Amino acid sequence: MALAYTRRLNKELAEIHAGTPVGINLVNADTFEKWLFTVEVMGTSEYEGEKFLLMFRFDNAYPISAPAVQFVVDDTHKAPVHPHVYSNGHICASILGREGWSPVLTVIAICITIQSMLASCKKKEQPSDNDRYVPRAPENPKKARFHYHGTCWRSAA
Amino acid sequence: MQLPSGSQTPGQATSSEPENASRPSVVVNENTDISLLTQAQLYDLNQNLLEDAVPNIPLIGPLSSISTLRAEYEEGSRSFVNQVDYLASQGYLSVRRARGDGDCFYRSLAFAFIEYLLNSPQTNVAVALATSLLESTIPMLEDAGFQKLVFEDFYEVLLSLIQQIVVPEPGGTTLTSETLLEAFQSPEVSNSVVVYLRLVASAQIRNDPEEYSPFLFHPELGEPMGTREFCEHFVEAVGKEADHVQMTALTRALKLNLNVAYLDGRSSTGKVDFVEFRDPDSQLENGSPITLLYRPGHYDILDKRTAEAL
Repeated sequence: MALAYTRRLNKELAEIHAGTPVGINLVNADTFEKWLFTVEVMGTSEYEGEKFLLMFRFDNAYPISAPAVQFVVDDTHKAPVHPHVYSNGHICASILGREGWSPVLTVIAICITIQSMLASCKKKEQPSDNDRYVPRAPENPKKARFHYHGTCWRSAA
Repeated sequence: MQLPSGSQTPGQATSSEPENASRPSVVVNENTDISLLTQAQLYDLNQNLLEDAVPNIPLIGPLSSISTLRAEYEEGSRSFVNQVDYLASQGYLSVRRARGDGDCFYRSLAFAFIEYLLNSPQTNVAVALATSLLESTIPMLEDAGFQKLVFEDFYEVLLSLIQQIVVPEPGGTTLTSETLLEAFQSPEVSNSVVVYLRLVASAQIRNDPEEYSPFLFHPELGEPMGTREFCEHFVEAVGKEADHVQMTALTRALKLNLNVAYLDGRSSTGKVDFVEFRDPDSQLENGSPITLLYRPGHYDILDKRTAEAL
């Protein structure tokens, strides 16, 4: 019982090993704490030729509550420039918050949602409050409060 | 963690020096001088407070006398007190509280349902019927488009709890009132059951859009919503309170009879209206339906027994 979340992740992993959607590839799932995927947008888009590294962090509340999901930003990886993606890699997407998360979503379902969020981007620009949010952002994006009203607003709380 | 009120928005300005996005989290105790924290630390602190906003009461509590409910209103509303007295006069001597976390309807219903099976005069029959009913929800969820992978763990938690009424756990005992309460107070078991009931309610709505779509409205905006969007945001999402539609869907899917006592303080005579959810195929006798107590925004369980009688 104690490790129900690893049981679920094991099942998801078996599916992932059987095949992932085009443009989404598993990089590392050696532990049940952290998984890494590369995400690319296929076809014509603002992000042609770019490849991003997406990090999932899990705890034993998964899948009742969402995993912590963000783009990796380091010497070799950058976050996509997108109105819902902060330059520290944090993502403002309703499915990752309490409002939109549901336990029927899976890691791959999140990858697909983020891939299509990028694919549908018309103009590469940072969230308007990027400079305000990033210096104060909690290390774990799940600890941040986002509001979702079409555009991205960080909570004033 | 206790903070003096108002400490979330200190009047004193603090410098906001540039910081890295990653930094160690602040440890705050009663000796911490809030005014020495940086903006970023205060921000984190506030976020932690938000996380802890739900009061620390059990997910499902023990049976307590209805007089504890009355006491909540004795200083305030006479009409609520009259309604509590009315419930007592109808034989509802006890209340079992659920945590107000938005899952209280599902959690209360699940607890009351399993307790009903546990106390049924023929538990073997009751458990067998409940098991076959529960099995019938699997194709229902699959028809609604849910992958087995995402729901089978939750299903197994609920099924094994019900099975445990008649079949002892390996190396353990059969379910008792005490172990049922313990199970429902453990977040992992309790939340798994809540999620499964949410998915059953959602599947019922998704599989019969003609029946339900005229009743799907955004709970705050009042605007009509599409079936899928409604189910994703207001049925499947954890922490979203159930309204009439979800209650109808769930009681139909589980073939349950349910009474909900509306304690709204509006009655001049003190009478309490009971909203009845009835399923023609219900296996629960009409005389002993599950009864929940509704107060605006919250559900608890009503019981005719006293804690001493358990």
